[in-house]
Amino acid sequence: MSVTLARIEPSIAGVGDYVALLKPRVMSLVVFTALVGLLIAPGHVHPVIALTALLCIAVGAGAAGALNMWYDADIDARMTRTAGRPIPQGRVTPGEAAGFGLTLAMFAVVTLGLLVNWVAASLLAFTIAFYVVIYTMWLKRSTPQNIVIGGAAGALPPIIGWAAVTGGVAVEPIVLFLIIFFWTPPHFWALSLYRTEDYARAGIPMLPVVAGEAETRRQIVIYTLILAPLGVAPWFLGYAGPLYGIAAVATGAAMIVLALRVRAERQGHAASKQMFGFSILYLFLLFAVLLADRLWGGLAAQAVSHFAA
Amino acid sequence: MTIVSGAMDEVSPPPFPPPQAGEGQGGGIRLTEQQLRARRSRSIAIALALGAFVVVIFVVTLVKLGSNVLTRPM
Repeated sequence: MSVTLARIEPSIAGVGDYVALLKPRVMSLVVFTALVGLLIAPGHVHPVIALTALLCIAVGAGAAGALNMWYDADIDARMTRTAGRPIPQGRVTPGEAAGFGLTLAMFAVVTLGLLVNWVAASLLAFTIAFYVVIYTMWLKRSTPQNIVIGGAAGALPPIIGWAAVTGGVAVEPIVLFLIIFFWTPPHFWALSLYRTEDYARAGIPMLPVVAGEAETRRQIVIYTLILAPLGVAPWFLGYAGPLYGIAAVATGAAMIVLALRVRAERQGHAASKQMFGFSILYLFLLFAVLLADRLWGGLAAQAVSHFAA
Repeated sequence: MTIVSGAMDEVSPPPFPPPQAGEGQGGGIRLTEQQLRARRSRSIAIALALGAFVVVIFVVTLVKLGSNVLTRPM
């Protein structure tokens, strides 16, 4: 019997490489939206429990990022935007990334379940599984609807944050979920419009690659027209004040104007780049103002009850 | 770690093969400076993460049980 075994080189991966596997920028957005879900939820949770929940959600999101980089190492190597990641650069082996991601995912879910509650933990486990299995392994390479359906994973953190406090799910976090869900396609399609060659070289069927630029620009407008009213919904539903309402109307209108400019663009990608950049600011502003609105409302209510007493 | 390849049941490898590039005496691995630095930084990070995990569990236990830590039934 002849057995040939590969020579295993000692790892040269540094701490920075493992941090990069966690996709810190994505993680920060996940933590921020989860924080909003957590803080707008009714009821009280001890700050230590809230911080623990956020930590678990952050680690879970990082684990999903590491598993995504493990599975997508082949296409990451072919794209300019991702070629510098630790696995394509050879600093981290795919096996190390997979082990790292699975370990963190398990720790995050079990810790969230044991220390906070199992509804939030189940939602976190579902989010990680959805992102890794449904989006990364299946949709990303097979359909231009990849980021539409896969966007659900990125939209779930406010629901997890809410569930960490209440132990359940309600309309309010579902509206936040829908905002992020409908924000994702115009955000990523604006990016893909000026990265079309990159995606085509990697064989990823993004909408501009498969259906062309004109169709992508049209779909950006459609999704933005759904997104803008959804952004105002928390005000209509009564769990955000007029400050939020004004901000949502103004930024939603700006998103529509930018989407129409993307639609009208014939040469270059200036409008697409502007749309991509502003879409990040849009989502951040919506959630930040909602948070400020709720915190301000809570402080005002406390002050009123204090003086009334 | 080095795993020697070869036909296992045809020719027995010598008990102490001569060291190759990157290996110490007796076939053990001699890490490069870069590998040593990387391993040290990873070890420190793992220690800090484990320490943080212990602190989280400890503090959450205090928060959840509070003074009942002392009054629980034995």
